[in-house]
Amino acid sequence: MSAGLASIAYAFPRGRATLAELAAQGQLTTRPEVLGRFGFEEVRVAVDESPYALGLEAARAALRGVDPESVDLLVYAGTPSAAAFQLPGEPRSRSVLGTLDRFKYPGPRLQFELGLVRATTFAVGELACASLFGALRVARALAESEGLKRVLCVASEFFPEEAGREALFNCTSDAACALLVEHGATRNRIVAQAQVTKGYYWDCEGSREEIVASYFPTARRVVEDVLQKAGWIREDVTWVIPHNVSLRSWEVLLGLLRLPRARLYASNIARNGHTLVGDNFINLADALEAGEVRPGDRLLLFSYGFGAHWSALAMEV
Amino acid sequence: MSPGHPPTLLVTGATGLVGGGALRAVLDASPDARAFALVRTRDAGTALRRALGPLGARVSPVLGDVRFPALGLDASVRSELRGRITHLLHSAGDICFARPLEQARAVNTTGTAHALELAQDLGARRFVHVSTAYVAGRAVGTVAEEPSSGAHGFVNAYEQSKHEAEVLVRGSGCEFVVLRPSSIVCDARTGAVSQVNAVHRALFLYFSGLVPMLPGDERWPLDLVPADWVTRSVARLTLDPEASGRTFHLCAGSGAPPLGALFDLTDEVLRADPDFRRRGVSRPDVVDLATYRLFEQSVQELGDPKLIRILRALSTFIEQMTLPKTFETAGAEAALGEPAPAVLEYWPRMLSHLVSTHWAVARENREAA
Repeated sequence: MSAGLASIAYAFPRGRATLAELAAQGQLTTRPEVLGRFGFEEVRVAVDESPYALGLEAARAALRGVDPESVDLLVYAGTPSAAAFQLPGEPRSRSVLGTLDRFKYPGPRLQFELGLVRATTFAVGELACASLFGALRVARALAESEGLKRVLCVASEFFPEEAGREALFNCTSDAACALLVEHGATRNRIVAQAQVTKGYYWDCEGSREEIVASYFPTARRVVEDVLQKAGWIREDVTWVIPHNVSLRSWEVLLGLLRLPRARLYASNIARNGHTLVGDNFINLADALEAGEVRPGDRLLLFSYGFGAHWSALAMEV
Repeated sequence: MSPGHPPTLLVTGATGLVGGGALRAVLDASPDARAFALVRTRDAGTALRRALGPLGARVSPVLGDVRFPALGLDASVRSELRGRITHLLHSAGDICFARPLEQARAVNTTGTAHALELAQDLGARRFVHVSTAYVAGRAVGTVAEEPSSGAHGFVNAYEQSKHEAEVLVRGSGCEFVVLRPSSIVCDARTGAVSQVNAVHRALFLYFSGLVPMLPGDERWPLDLVPADWVTRSVARLTLDPEASGRTFHLCAGSGAPPLGALFDLTDEVLRADPDFRRRGVSRPDVVDLATYRLFEQSVQELGDPKLIRILRALSTFIEQMTLPKTFETAGAEAALGEPAPAVLEYWPRMLSHLVSTHWAVARENREAA
């Protein structure tokens, strides 16, 4: 029996910043007009929110109308450990590694605050922008093997304050996203999933050019892999639901995939920028809400996470 | 050509891949042949003779440079050569694709004009012109072993300057033979690469995991030929009395492998290298030109210096990959009695050679550049 997404919810912080504002603050390494040509306009910036607070907000929204006690598992895939509770501008406390603070985990706290009394929790990490894909993979596998009915996947990630707002030619946003995965769901059904990890690229800064070179052909390969697993051909894909690493990179990738530009749901790239955790699912939620994605549509979701991970998902609405 | 008259050659480009190889093959095939080799320095002449071993005794280096009238030969040398040269084998050329047109012309076109004038002055009976199959420029489809019109335009200055040189040869009044190799890659028997060109540089970038995509179509042919076969063929056609006034494609022709098959084989061979395999380097995708140009434009806009350098290195020849063409080889095959060796048969040996030498040749070349 397959699993599907019973609900998708997300939360953005209150703040926004335009490319010009980010440039003025020294947050960009690429000229703002270039990033503008790559499809970006503004990003979401935390003002007084913590990653945890946004994660909690997204999770609450995902569970609206759901009995918390019906959730069997919570998979957390966001900012790890005590850093999840840190507020913007708050001075970093001394290393928590030597204190019990290192065991302040956001996953168990979410379980408690959401009242998921039956749920066990754990975290997945080191997948960067492919984290929710990894959480889904685990959720589906455990739903199948352990007979779990409902799994809540939560990811919340802010780009480190000192790191600016750019990660290899894209413009990053702070955000949280939560997915409620149901075993046997008939809508937003996950048909197939594929991932490629290439640890050679573990040093993002040291292998920038190689990552750019590897990104496109490996993305094509993982997409072909997921389509094959789903038993689809390219023409079956109604919508490509992207990660927002730039409109330009998608235009190139669509060329490799031989998919028309019209199938790309790209409305959010300009207004949201690239969130580290949930682009594809935030885009999907908005596309569903807007009625652009309809029941029966076949969706291709693809994301790349530093590390390096290429992840793809085939879904049927 | 009068039968029985021992050939005496004046060879330009004798220190290069084709000129040097053809000189050796002529001396090998004709025990009574002699040659004068145009060299730019005395040391180059000494090195050439040494490299030729016992054959070097029949070679006399003469100092000169194709960029100068009479190839820069002293009047006394010209006097000595006058009436003695049977063949002027002109294989000197600037094979860098990135040169501005005027610089490419200085060697390839004006150099040919100088060589033709000298051939006439010396009374050489035949002018053998080593050209390139890519004088076809932007033409697509079947390319005949005939004069090219130049009407389709050219991908780079190298092609244009070589086309212009052919026009000079045909209009010179000299008895001529035009020989057009395609991309020369290695020795077919050993796989050894003695002169690095754009193909090897592109493979080096591929091996380094720095080539995401190339423009073209997996089904389109890529014409490659081995150096030993080319030089052997140049030597044979240089001395072949029936070759006069004709143009020969020294190409794989209809045997040129499709790009997809070549990439598949390349990937398979490189994957046998544990380091390459561990790095997980992807086989470059073959995309339409619009997608490639968009990627290229994006890299330019982002200003990453290393990526820009890589794309610039590829850009001078890459457009040829989007201009599918098959070089007719019937004339060459009939004259030589054999087609070019099958690319997919010797290609793995070349790749293994490059990998086992850690691309030393490519690196040296890159550093020199």
